[in-house]
Amino acid sequence: MYLPDFEYFTPNSVEEACRLLSQYGSKAVAIAGGTDILVKMKKEVMAPEVLVSIGHLSELKKIEYVPGKGVVIGAGVTHNEVMNSKILHEKYLSVSEAAHQMANNQVRNLGTIGGNICNAVPSADMPPILIALDTTVKIVGAKGERTMPLENVFKGPNQTVLENDELITEFVIPDGNFTGSTYIKFGLRASGALAVVGVAASVQMEGDIVKDARIVLGAVSPVPVRAKEAENFLRGKKAGEELFAEAGVIASGECRPISDIRGSAEYRRDMVRVFTRRALLKAVNEGHV
Amino acid sequence: MAKEFSYLNFNRNKEYSYIGKSLKRTDILDKVTGRGKFTADLKFSNMLYGKLIRSTEAHARIIKIDTSEAEKLPGVRAIITAKDVPSIKYGLSPARYDETIFCIDKVRYYGDKIGAICAVDEETLYKALKLIKVEYEVLPAVFTPAEAAKEGAPQIFEEYPGNINTEIHLEFGDVEKAKKEAYYIRTDRLQGQRTVHGFIEPHCSIAYWEGKRVTIHSAHQSAHYLQHHIARIFNMKEGDVRVILPYIGAGFGGKLDVSGLDVAAVALSKITGQPVKMFFDLEEVWYNGRARHGMDMKYTTGVTKEGKILFVESEIILDGGAYTGLGVASSYYAGALLTVLYDFDNYRFDAYRYVTNLPPCGAQRGHGQPHPRYAFESHLDHIAEDLGIDPIDIRLLNARRANTVTPNGYEVKAYYLKEANEMARDVSGWKEKKGKLPKGRGIGVGNGGFVTGAGYCMYRTDLPHSIAMIKVYDDGTHAVVYTNAVDIGQGSDTVLTQMAAQAMGYPYEDITICTRDTDLSTLDFGAYASRQTLMAGWAVKRAGEDVKRKILAQAAEMLKVKEDGGYRFGKLTPEELECEEGIVYVKQEPAVNITFAEVARAYFVKHGVLIGRGYYHPGKLGGTHKGAAVGTSPAYSSATQIAEVEVDMETGLTKVVGTWDVHDSGFVVNPQLLHGQVHGAFSMGIGETIWEKVIFDEKGRVLNGNFAEYRLPTALDMPYVESLVVDTFEPNGPWGVKEVGEGATTPTLGCVANAVYDAIGVRISELPLTPEKIWRALKEAEGAKEKGGK
Ligand SMILES: Cc1cc2nc3c(=O)[nH]c(=O)nc-3n(C[C@H](O)[C@H](O)[C@H](O)COP(=O)(O)OP(=O)(O)OC[C@H]3O[C@@H](n4cnc5c(N)ncnc54)[C@H](O)[C@@H]3O)c2cc1C
Repeated sequence: MYLPDFEYFTPNSVEEACRLLSQYGSKAVAIAGGTDILVKMKKEVMAPEVLVSIGHLSELKKIEYVPGKGVVIGAGVTHNEVMNSKILHEKYLSVSEAAHQMANNQVRNLGTIGGNICNAVPSADMPPILIALDTTVKIVGAKGERTMPLENVFKGPNQTVLENDELITEFVIPDGNFTGSTYIKFGLRASGALAVVGVAASVQMEGDIVKDARIVLGAVSPVPVRAKEAENFLRGKKAGEELFAEAGVIASGECRPISDIRGSAEYRRDMVRVFTRRALLKAVNEGHV
Repeated sequence: MAKEFSYLNFNRNKEYSYIGKSLKRTDILDKVTGRGKFTADLKFSNMLYGKLIRSTEAHARIIKIDTSEAEKLPGVRAIITAKDVPSIKYGLSPARYDETIFCIDKVRYYGDKIGAICAVDEETLYKALKLIKVEYEVLPAVFTPAEAAKEGAPQIFEEYPGNINTEIHLEFGDVEKAKKEAYYIRTDRLQGQRTVHGFIEPHCSIAYWEGKRVTIHSAHQSAHYLQHHIARIFNMKEGDVRVILPYIGAGFGGKLDVSGLDVAAVALSKITGQPVKMFFDLEEVWYNGRARHGMDMKYTTGVTKEGKILFVESEIILDGGAYTGLGVASSYYAGALLTVLYDFDNYRFDAYRYVTNLPPCGAQRGHGQPHPRYAFESHLDHIAEDLGIDPIDIRLLNARRANTVTPNGYEVKAYYLKEANEMARDVSGWKEKKGKLPKGRGIGVGNGGFVTGAGYCMYRTDLPHSIAMIKVYDDGTHAVVYTNAVDIGQGSDTVLTQMAAQAMGYPYEDITICTRDTDLSTLDFGAYASRQTLMAGWAVKRAGEDVKRKILAQAAEMLKVKEDGGYRFGKLTPEELECEEGIVYVKQEPAVNITFAEVARAYFVKHGVLIGRGYYHPGKLGGTHKGAAVGTSPAYSSATQIAEVEVDMETGLTKVVGTWDVHDSGFVVNPQLLHGQVHGAFSMGIGETIWEKVIFDEKGRVLNGNFAEYRLPTALDMPYVESLVVDTFEPNGPWGVKEVGEGATTPTLGCVANAVYDAIGVRISELPLTPEKIWRALKEAEGAKEKGGK
């Protein structure tokens, strides 16, 4: 394997990065940690002529809490930074834990949250928990900026709604009413395995009544999907193992898994059932974990 | 009659200066600082970079190879195919040399070697590779032994009708008679999968010519075999081939074959007159194959009411892949060593190794053993269960004892499997756990063991198996051990240096070891069949003792002792002296002494260089039946392993929570290195039981040729490991040593599989026991129960 030739830019700002991306058009792509893109280039799945580095931009590196807005995470924040963030430990340990379950230490040191979203593979670990917490993204391009729910960013495997000259700059987890959330990754070994199934759940409890819930499934559809029927089913009901087991059955009917070398569709579907139940129980009983 | 003699508890009261201790590894600083050089780290001026041109069809006739576009690319130095090199056939099993340097007419697996190319740098090389066009006439391919065996199946080799590459039919004792006497007979059939070794360093080879001689630096497990085969293939004298093996990033059996890289590097450097470095990308290691055969194993065993084995009948079918390599030996090994483990008289072993259009299989840690051990240990557990006997009790009843001869002709000296079983049972808490764990939790046992070095060279020769030489510096302040024993990470350099220090009576810190260079060092067959500690150990011990003999003779002339108030001088005999830790002293009066260095210097002045020599040959071993040589060895290790697992009954995910290994490894030279082997063996064995399997698509392409999708266990997957030894002494080993490296992998698959069975109550007959397979098996069992209930 050998990296093909490419030109490499290190712009000084997001603005300059977007300008470069716009200038070189379809020949150019952004590179953050490079843990996805360099692998693809070595495997010759893609051969961009121009790489525009954004991993070093300090404006993309913050994690902060803005009262009234929520937790803001820059797109260039690495998984290890997410994993070790005090702010996230206080507010949403579940997000740190999701990052902790990813890859291995080396990859977590380089790989960014922005890259994980924009690479848009069905098995990615960060989308489910972030969607479950109603995260929105800020997108900046050569022609301006826009915001949208993260849920709407994905179009298909390796495809997002982003234009060629657009970058995600930040993620906002809004102050919300969720009382608990969690992400369970089911991989085939303890470390360095991609998800066969990933299930995130968030709940808003009033006493023992489920007022609201989100269930987001990873690795079982072309894009991360919400199990909306299961969510509806839960609303207003009294929490309990049986209820969550039923929600699991409903969720397993909502996914569209494929068979690949990591698991058959049939198996994945059943794992959605199991992990939806487990995730809901955890989110209800243990808070944001 | 075998003499009644126990080699148990032999070493308890022995205290040596340099052996039996966990001394620091000789290579520790090189490895932890990264200073140590592996083949891929080496650079020579004017060096070219080369790769193999590999087939993109599994089975096809080569119509045309068009290299013209590639040749036009500036920087490309040479492109060669079959027409440019000798057409001699080679391999590792002399009876089945069936590989050529490059494919002549036909490719036999996706990845097969069509030619080789070299260029001034890697960039040009990869670009040029893409410009080479091969036109094929695609032939139908077979990917499993079942397909290969079908009538009318495509024939992969003319010389293997029906695609049968090796066929074995052996019988010892009288199985039919025993069948009539058996109280209970049971048959089980299980499958083991095709795996890869999982070493981190891909193969790499650099060659250059100086006049008529060629030098090869290679990531290889045996300097000697590489030298021998290169000389044979290129019709050269062995003396004109120099092999140097830099540090090696593990082998596990996968660096024993002459790889296409070695041969191509020699050919290309001859043509270009420049050094050529050939290398594999990681994925190409999967295509090179040479790893564990997939096996389909059927065992029928008859026992008495008490569980004593009366006969075993076994049939093993091996998926050999495209060429033979070590496959003949793998096939024999698959059946050979069961008789060492358990003591029974009547044994039938049939085996068929098929060629298929997949990468060739060969040796992997425990060569031919782990799958049959897994199958038989599972089978034995079922027999025990059917008879209501505890799995350990049935093993205690059948375990072979010391000083016996197996029905297939192996002489077994020290052998304490029974003691290993008892010890493992006691330290693991077996009695408290077996049958008493909650559902989803289980405990299992497995036995295994291995040869300590093969009794015979891979090709016919009368050469000794190992030679060692020790040279002491002129002033006696340093010594160098010469042997071509190959340290592939297992630590043989350390162990052999310890042995040299002990034999010489000379400080470990003042000895270096010069290995892995056929010009500089001395013959040894290399690292395979767990042979280095015993075989190279004998040679080194003898060389060390030779040095010591000379030192004591010299010292006898130099020391004087008090006698009747006066001194006598020069009249001491060597027998009155001893040398330890660099000091020569009079045994009766240790205060009278002199340093080794002083004596060595005096020796040098008088006789010239002080050299000790040693050699080792195991002598004639084994019976006379066909294939009797495979499995012969001067010594057999044995081991019992116990594993405790926790299975998620909903997802099928197995977590191994505890493991115990008790090894009868003879005298242990370096306990830490032994435990390291045991930890590594568990990691490899657990991986093969739960995760690992090479997956192909319908074209014979590898789908998981990387460490993300070919999942070896990570540190986080490793359970608690307890590694213990039975204190034994092997009379055929220097200081009583035996092997541990491969034997420790052989019980793991069986013991983990038995633990999973204990946890879930369903036997899955095919490795690996992936979560999905367990999930499916549990669902099917559930379905069957419901049906049965209605
Ligand atoms: C060994 C290994 C193990 C892995 N394990 C996991 C795992 O367990 N779970 C998992 O989810 N992933 C895993 N990955 C994938 C990868 O590490 C992650 O997806 C990572 O988050 C990618 O981030 P990056 O910064 O390295 O992305 P890059 O490779 O730099 O970029 C990926 C893509 O996103 C685009 N991009 C990056 N940042 C932005 C941005 N701000 N705006 C717009 N586009 C952008 C790039 O143009 C590129 O197309 C693994 C990768 C490896 C090599």
